[in-house]
Amino acid sequence: MKNRLRELREKQVWSQGDLAERLDVPRQTVNAIETGKYDPSLPLAFRIAKLFRLSIESIFVPGKD
Amino acid sequence: MSRSFLKSYRFRVFALMAAYIAVLFFVWPHAQSATILPVKIALSVAPTLPVITVLWLMALRVMRSDELEQRVHLMALSVATAAVAAVSLVGGFLSASGVIHVDGDILIWVFPSLCLSYGLARWIVGRRYGGVGCG
Repeated sequence: MKNRLRELREKQVWSQGDLAERLDVPRQTVNAIETGKYDPSLPLAFRIAKLFRLSIESIFVPGKD
Repeated sequence: MSRSFLKSYRFRVFALMAAYIAVLFFVWPHAQSATILPVKIALSVAPTLPVITVLWLMALRVMRSDELEQRVHLMALSVATAAVAAVSLVGGFLSASGVIHVDGDILIWVFPSLCLSYGLARWIVGRRYGGVGCG
């Protein structure tokens, strides 16, 4: 799954640590999501969407299966 | 998981493992010479108390971890359990058929083997996610 997390974070001028703090997750989790190594759970995806005031599908895009 | 919890966790584990070593060297050796059965049993299992407390702390740590860390813990525990189970099974059959001779004392090594293989597996799995759970 692809996502726009890095782009959205950089638009806010937040570091990975800043975003991690806002989402209450470790910085490594933010990094793993941004680099596509980990797809977040639905509750975390909702938290991310709520934080950026966007819909989940506008942040996360399904990749080729 | 908060940094303060991780710091406190590390300190507690260190203190408990220090207690384990102290009990192992200064209390446990008296078990063989003890004559009263309840005392003998208590002295024999004394080293396990700090270790069991560490296990409880480890469970707390996993419960307080975030979803990705929990995933890493689960994968590492699965690998470690499989590795120790495979070695135990092979060793058990070799011992049962008389190829190798081991006594019950070898059971003491199950927990350290599990910890070692878990630590190694967590490091390997964590690297896959950019170092998650390696700290």
